[in-house]
Amino acid sequence: MCHESQLPNAGDYFINYIGEDQVICVRDEDGQINVLLNTCRHRGNALCRAEQGRAKSFVCSYHGWNYGLDGRLIGVPGQSTYYRGDLDKSRLGLVKAAKVDNYLGFYFATMAADAPSLHDYLGEVGRTGLGMVCANGEVEVVDGIQKNVIDCNWKIAVDNLFDWYHVMYSHASAGSSGLIDLAAIVHPKNQMVMLGDYGQAIGGPGVPREMQDRLDQMSDAARMDYARSGQSPFPRLRPDKATELMGPEGVRSMGHPNIFPNLWITLGGLQLCLRLPRGPSHTELWWFTVIPKSTPPALRQAMIRQANHLFGPAGLLEQDDGENWSQSTRAASGFSSRQVGAALLMGLGHDEVSVGRDGQTSIEGYVGEHAQRWFYRSWTEWVAACDWTELQATRSPPPTGVV
Amino acid sequence: MDPTAPTRPRSPSTGDDVSSRLILQYEVEQFLYAEAALLDARHYRDWLGLLADDIHYWMPIRRTVTLSDLDLEFTRPGAMAYFDDDRAMLEMRVKKLEAGSAWSEDPPSRSRHFVANVRILGVEGDEITVEVCFHLYRTRLNSEVGSWVGRRLDVLRRAEGAFRLAKRHIFLDQTVIPTTNMSTLF
Repeated sequence: MCHESQLPNAGDYFINYIGEDQVICVRDEDGQINVLLNTCRHRGNALCRAEQGRAKSFVCSYHGWNYGLDGRLIGVPGQSTYYRGDLDKSRLGLVKAAKVDNYLGFYFATMAADAPSLHDYLGEVGRTGLGMVCANGEVEVVDGIQKNVIDCNWKIAVDNLFDWYHVMYSHASAGSSGLIDLAAIVHPKNQMVMLGDYGQAIGGPGVPREMQDRLDQMSDAARMDYARSGQSPFPRLRPDKATELMGPEGVRSMGHPNIFPNLWITLGGLQLCLRLPRGPSHTELWWFTVIPKSTPPALRQAMIRQANHLFGPAGLLEQDDGENWSQSTRAASGFSSRQVGAALLMGLGHDEVSVGRDGQTSIEGYVGEHAQRWFYRSWTEWVAACDWTELQATRSPPPTGVV
Repeated sequence: MDPTAPTRPRSPSTGDDVSSRLILQYEVEQFLYAEAALLDARHYRDWLGLLADDIHYWMPIRRTVTLSDLDLEFTRPGAMAYFDDDRAMLEMRVKKLEAGSAWSEDPPSRSRHFVANVRILGVEGDEITVEVCFHLYRTRLNSEVGSWVGRRLDVLRRAEGAFRLAKRHIFLDQTVIPTTNMSTLF
């Protein structure tokens, strides 16, 4: 939905979506963040027509029904006359999301009352993924959510976030430009995939265990010096306290988490990208950029510039992603091409889920497509189930053994 | 200068500076048209030659906000933006286009830069601040069409008898960018 830092004061609101429904994320006078359906109870008109802003209450532009920041209906023109005083306002508040909760300040909501708790839904892998964002301290959102529409199916965008195979080829021109050293970030022989309940997954480079053992002996300062020295194969290393958020194995991951189904986390510029489906062949991308609150101003500016230059529609990486995703969507939608299917074969049957410290599991080795297969399998199970009860009964547990 | 503030029309010219103003208007327009033609002809390296070393090329994020929240309409310098480039970054964009593997521009897009409503807002020393309205039309592959419309604040600096572009601040009218990417220069 949003991060708490986007809504510092009562009345601050940010519009997001649950499926095709617009919702208002708003902080009320008690400091609580509410998620309200942006649909007037009278005729269904949108209450908020802006993307974000500051409100004292939400007044419908159609007939003037007025709702409080907690969604209560507080004013109806003509209540005592036209309605003869028998309108029960207490039953006509804005529809609230059935469940709203946050982890590390990131808010999530669902319209399903029988959905699991956020804690259980994220599971260890989802919490590790969000923990990665906060591994260097508490974060805040930088002002400005980049938004654009890519003519692609949303799933190819999710598939791509786990895909460290495409980087050297798709993004060759971004490498040639000098903006980014692709070889330094890909580590195709040191990949680490973590698969969790409810489709949660992290895929990408991972610090090998032996190297992490040596890193664990270093102080935070020595480890950061090593990361900056140019001697470390991994230019980004984490302080000790990151282990509390990511676990003893998860802390080794330098990959890309996806909070199932459609929230990508990247460390390139510390960003979260929400992929909002707009029908089968269009996806709206929203980029949230976060920065640790303790970041010194000069570094802060450098991180923001890097985020601006890598992703978003003009970002040197994303320009070419958009081309590939939209043309994959278009070319694979013909009658014959639809029968062919994708080749999700990389690494299949060659790797094994290993159980590490604190029971955290991972698949390690060459670059592969384990996370993509887990994403697509989870998605097919979700769309086949009618409700949470059925999904709980039919969904696959995260894979074990040979995968 | 507040980028969102309306710019007032100049008072009708009554003095003897009309001809010098006409000449300046003509020079500025010819520079902007020639610059646009270089981009449309994909002569990116030549286009770089028109930029000052300290250029700031910036497109903030625009948002739909209510009248009472208009101060939030654009992100500020230093916050998130679509472009926030110095000369080195623009050179990287051109290097990318020249790399032979910039898939979003191979086959290359066909672009047309329309520049209109050219108004000289001020002249200070060697620098001329110009406001233009633009329409950048792009089509690529068989059927993809992108269209971006907005307002630009450019600063042209006179150096050694020629203009150099020292600032380009681009204020799109669109909020959600309607295109798969912005691999085109504005």
